[in-house]
Amino acid sequence: MLQILINTLIYSGEIGIIAVGVALSYSVLRFANFAHIQFAVVGAYLAFTLNQFLHCPLVLAVILAAVLTGGIAVTVDALVFSRLRDVTPEGKMIVSWGVALLLRSTMGAIFGSSSRVFGLEPASLQIGDAFFTSLDVVVVVVAILAMILLHFLLYSTRLGTALRALASNADLAATRGIPARRMVSLMWFICGAYAAIGGSLFALESQLAPNMDLIILLPVFASVTLGGLSNVFGAALGALGLSLAQNLLIGVDFGSWFSANSWSVPTQFRDFIAVGAMVIILLLRPYLARRRRAV
Amino acid sequence: MIDFAVFSITIIAVWSVLAISLHLQFGLTGLVNFGQVLPFAVGAYGTAFAAAHGLPAWAGAGIGVTLAPLLGLLVILPASRLAQDYWALVTLGAGEIFRLTMLNVPVIAGGDEGTSVYRFQNADLAMVLALTLLLVTLLFARRVGASPLGRMLRVLREDEVLAATLGRNPFRLQRMVTAASWVMAAAAGVLYAHVTGYISPSSFTVLETFVIWTAVVLGGPSTITGVLLGTVIVQLTSVSTRFVAQWSGLPSDLVANLRLGAYGLVLILVFLYRPQGLIPERKLRYDADRL
Repeated sequence: MLQILINTLIYSGEIGIIAVGVALSYSVLRFANFAHIQFAVVGAYLAFTLNQFLHCPLVLAVILAAVLTGGIAVTVDALVFSRLRDVTPEGKMIVSWGVALLLRSTMGAIFGSSSRVFGLEPASLQIGDAFFTSLDVVVVVVAILAMILLHFLLYSTRLGTALRALASNADLAATRGIPARRMVSLMWFICGAYAAIGGSLFALESQLAPNMDLIILLPVFASVTLGGLSNVFGAALGALGLSLAQNLLIGVDFGSWFSANSWSVPTQFRDFIAVGAMVIILLLRPYLARRRRAV
Repeated sequence: MIDFAVFSITIIAVWSVLAISLHLQFGLTGLVNFGQVLPFAVGAYGTAFAAAHGLPAWAGAGIGVTLAPLLGLLVILPASRLAQDYWALVTLGAGEIFRLTMLNVPVIAGGDEGTSVYRFQNADLAMVLALTLLLVTLLFARRVGASPLGRMLRVLREDEVLAATLGRNPFRLQRMVTAASWVMAAAAGVLYAHVTGYISPSSFTVLETFVIWTAVVLGGPSTITGVLLGTVIVQLTSVSTRFVAQWSGLPSDLVANLRLGAYGLVLILVFLYRPQGLIPERKLRYDADRL
């Protein structure tokens, strides 16, 4: 059981850092940004390049990658999304796939389709009968720190207040003298940087390949949907809930309930839970919304 | 050279059917289907399932073409009454789930290794069949687009509430369109399976969906000529990738990536500079006195 909880924390850390960015950009600009997934992949590749080819220490490499990916996100906004503010949300979603395809193929063209590993050798640790590595500890600590930092940024600084004002009523915020353009750029920077950190952690834990995007796509968007699309910390909680559901289903030995043979759900089926959770929430959503209105 | 032309025409016809299917859903009705590859895959896998289990080919086609609209109705169920963002997410998820199921449950059709299916020995026959299917879907889509139903679908695309105030049930219309267009895409999938002779999960990723989207957005989603033009452009670049790789001496992996990147760039540029596509929809005018 402890092992399941530990695995839950690790996986939700990786997914959650990426998911908050999707929710943040949705809350301000009102569209689901599918290019966000590629920011994570780009960030991971940048961290890899800095670490393996330019011999930066790993921590510095990830920080630099986050800054650079933040810059890429701001650039993408300046070149594409800022010029499409009046397009319908569906249109922006489609364009965000265009950006995603472009970023994905750039990464594929530069690094090839074979997978790469960072080649870390983390120490293994043990609490009771649960095993984990020192890297897992780092992932969870980084995820928690990232969430605290984001919370501080959004709720305890003037910048965060301005950003939240922009999310709740863009016109009013602009009338009250909030520099909307600069705030949106700041938001993109945060999105890109967080995606890069999440992507790097994900790649450190497993491996780096251009098709990493297909692996993180469903869990990230399921987490964001669970949290209500525009709720930043809802997305983080969504990642936690989703991860718990996945690890419970995979980790529990269902076979022993009915017979002597042990049987549990194969790991490849974790994405079914992601989509399943998404569908259940969408089915319940009209009722949830009605109840909230009634209160 | 003739062989290559026949093959290209077959492939273009198959993808044109997919594009027309998306035209009905997105261009006409405004449904943002990010899982367009799903009905296509269902059609192909119906065939693959039949081949892997020793059933006749017509049974496989039957399975694919019946299962696809049923899945479509199932997928649209949670998405009705919700904004298009959610419909996009649900269809995207459904498409990926289908691919992952095929990948991880080898009993159905060979899992990762895929399945060989009957391949048309006569390339001309394949081309004629593909063109026939294209013609049927084309006539159907034209018929729908020009009918009062087509007008109502356009109303629905522009304003769901308006369609409802005109006494139409938006969800019923959306369900109809989904079922009809998913049958088309499934039929294209069946044909595709018999043209290539081999089906594996890697042919049905999210990226395939966006190859169809690129074609539709480039040509103009709301006109049939537009989506056909878009498909011809996109699929010609796709089938010629092999030759470009040979001719330029670049690794085919790199060329494939560049092609995908070009599609992404096309999507972005079209939205920036020509959001209505190469062939825009003409505004329909009706003269009340002459009706």
